[in-house]
Amino acid sequence: MEVLTSLINVALIVATLRTTAPILLVALGGSFTTKAGIFNIGLEGQMLAGAFFAVLGSIWTGSAWGGVLCGVAAALVFAYVFALLVVTFRANEVVVGLALNILAGGMTISLMKAIFGTRGSIVGQGIVGLPKIQIPYARELLGSWAPLVSGYTPLVYIAFLSVPLFVLFYKRTRLGLYIRVVGEKPEAAEALGISITRIRYIASLLCGLFAGLAGAHLSLGYITMFTENMSSGRGFMAVAILIFSNGDPLRVLAGCLLFGLADAFSLRLQTFGYPSYLILAVPYLVALTALFALSYAARPKLIRETADSMRRFLRAETPDSRPTEGSR
Amino acid sequence: MEPDTASSTAADYAVELIGITKRFGTFTANDKIDLRVRRGEIHAIVGENGAGKTTLMNILFGLLQPDEGEIRLNGSPVVMDDPSVAIKLGLGMVHQHFKLVPSLTVAENVFLGMEIRRNGLIDHQAQEERTTELSKRFGLAVDATERVALLSVGIEQRIEILKVLVRGARTVILDEPTAVLTPQESRELFATMRSFAEGGMTVIFISHHLEEVIEVSDTVTVLRRGKAVATRPTAELNKAEMVRLMVDRDVSFERPTRPRTDGKTVLQVEGLWARDDRRHPALRDVSFEVRAGEIVGIAGVAGNGQTELAEVLSGLRPPSHGTAVLNGRDILTLSPAEVRAAGLAHVPGDRMTRGVDGNASIASNLMMGRQDRAPWKRRGLLDWKAAARESIGLIERFDIRARGPNDTVRRLSGGNIQKVVLAREFTNEASFLLIDQPTRGVDIGAQEAIHDEIMRQRANGVAILLISVQLDELLKLADRLLVMFNGRIMGTVDGENADEDQVGLMMAGVSPEQAEHAA
Repeated sequence: MEVLTSLINVALIVATLRTTAPILLVALGGSFTTKAGIFNIGLEGQMLAGAFFAVLGSIWTGSAWGGVLCGVAAALVFAYVFALLVVTFRANEVVVGLALNILAGGMTISLMKAIFGTRGSIVGQGIVGLPKIQIPYARELLGSWAPLVSGYTPLVYIAFLSVPLFVLFYKRTRLGLYIRVVGEKPEAAEALGISITRIRYIASLLCGLFAGLAGAHLSLGYITMFTENMSSGRGFMAVAILIFSNGDPLRVLAGCLLFGLADAFSLRLQTFGYPSYLILAVPYLVALTALFALSYAARPKLIRETADSMRRFLRAETPDSRPTEGSR
Repeated sequence: MEPDTASSTAADYAVELIGITKRFGTFTANDKIDLRVRRGEIHAIVGENGAGKTTLMNILFGLLQPDEGEIRLNGSPVVMDDPSVAIKLGLGMVHQHFKLVPSLTVAENVFLGMEIRRNGLIDHQAQEERTTELSKRFGLAVDATERVALLSVGIEQRIEILKVLVRGARTVILDEPTAVLTPQESRELFATMRSFAEGGMTVIFISHHLEEVIEVSDTVTVLRRGKAVATRPTAELNKAEMVRLMVDRDVSFERPTRPRTDGKTVLQVEGLWARDDRRHPALRDVSFEVRAGEIVGIAGVAGNGQTELAEVLSGLRPPSHGTAVLNGRDILTLSPAEVRAAGLAHVPGDRMTRGVDGNASIASNLMMGRQDRAPWKRRGLLDWKAAARESIGLIERFDIRARGPNDTVRRLSGGNIQKVVLAREFTNEASFLLIDQPTRGVDIGAQEAIHDEIMRQRANGVAILLISVQLDELLKLADRLLVMFNGRIMGTVDGENADEDQVGLMMAGVSPEQAEHAA
């Protein structure tokens, strides 16, 4: 019992919210591309580029928000290249996504070497972290529960407040509706004069925006540093969550909270002296198992289509072997 | 072709296509086609597959650009850069394949692309009210708040028509609208079309169902191999004349006369139940028998269990319970190969997934499933020379239009791919032939050849189960007709004196006794 209470308390929930935020941001970003019918495994790379350039930007400008802007800009460049290759040149989305992930990993390492002359990580050097926001009167009203709502960095609030906005966006705005239509039934969009290309570009860039914010949160949020490959698979976790949630904001939130909880929990477990490499695998195992169990019965269309597109790609079929528009 | 100036001027025409030519590579899909459609008429366009109907309509609607020719609307020349221009000019097209978004509601689909917004947000309530109002005005009953995924194809078509109307269309193009409807739904559609025409709108109607063309249209234009060969008032033509114009020769629609047969029972199905891919019951207590030398037809609107029935009988889908005995052997526990060994030949409904390997040659496809037998196997190895020889014979006998046995199947037209499947399955000397949609996507000339081949198999004493969504095909060929609805067999009708209306009502779920009354 004692072990349980020391494990589960306000601090654990706070830690959960904090670890959830970056993955929630990147997964919400990916919700745009998922809904628009693009299988985007480039999230990891966009996030990593965002994290690196956020650090650079904060050093250059001396301001955390300058850093966030830089991070977002870098992620947008990645997102734009992704859209250019996938939407305009119709390259295979899995291949392009993987390539951009590898590029982001390599590029951050070599730029780190070139600019700072170091390997591994950038610490100090004048990096400015994001401020923590103290909600007025939180401590007076909530007492020991105050940390639940107060004292996070701004991007945590942005992440969680985005969820209801996303619900509204998909349900009530024209752009949200078009993104869904383009993903679900492109022929319908085309017949109504909605440009599939344009919508997919917009979705890609919106995705880059959120992936960049997620990256900035990683390197300027609770720790102000950049380390090699610091996104450490969160982008891929987000992809998994997106597949199982089909990009629905509320289900994305649920998936991310599950992952965040497992992550926070594993940090706790480390204090009990279990081997750390095992414990670090816990969040991934928990999240994957739960997500898989939840959604095995309802495998979404995207998985089947991606499998199909991979198969087509591997067979290296020429594009003109597709049946041409004929008359009946 | 000059318009006869005495009775009409250019402004009487809602749509004029003048000298339209469209080429795809070396293939000319439309060759100097002239088409003039009067305002307020129902104008049918008929022709075989590949005659150029859909290409012509896509040009009119701005989906394709003509290489030559001019389009005029209400007498003035227009350029259709893309469909949005056509929509703005009052044209509306209901495509053969519906373009609705399943997860959205009826109203959302109707207003997609022209949403009603308030304060920048979509006003769902206003959209639903407008949809309901419009559906009442035009007699197209729909529930505006329902999700499209839950609706039948007949209702989906109404939504497509509403989409066109809400955009202010004065000329409506319907591309093979009845292909997916029951006869009753078709009749409702015709009533709608007539009310449009009476209200001063213009309807262009593409079809290869000539009875329907005769029933509903005022004028008919016949296309043959990319050319407009005739435009006449429908009343001046009968079905045989239309067919002659379409295929340039006589085609028989007569039900072939046949000797009564009393063969032994080849297939006996008893109390068969099965589920579909979503685990919903697809077959409910299905029982019937097929005798040697008999064609049993399965009629029904697509999606009422026919596909599942074919899959269960061919060993592709495990049933929940029931028995099926083929030549004295229970086949329900057997693998597809074992069922074939027990005497089944199967022409699948979806030829590209289950009928052929599109990337393989004709010779390979004609060998598939019997590669373990002579003459295809010799001394334990495949004998490709023998395969090629066999193929050449079959290509000739089944009139497959291809360059030779090594031609890739994917390169052939739909009708010729179907002939490859038929050529393989009809020469397996099976005692039971399961034929699912023998003439889907096959044009009238080739249809007749396939029908003749089916009758030949019957004469050879093969037991045939013929599944088709085309009722006239079943009425022509079947000795007995079983009507399926919602996974059940609604009743059996004698093929010799079956009544189309009665069968149509049974296809819609009316019991045989009531159907007989109503029809």
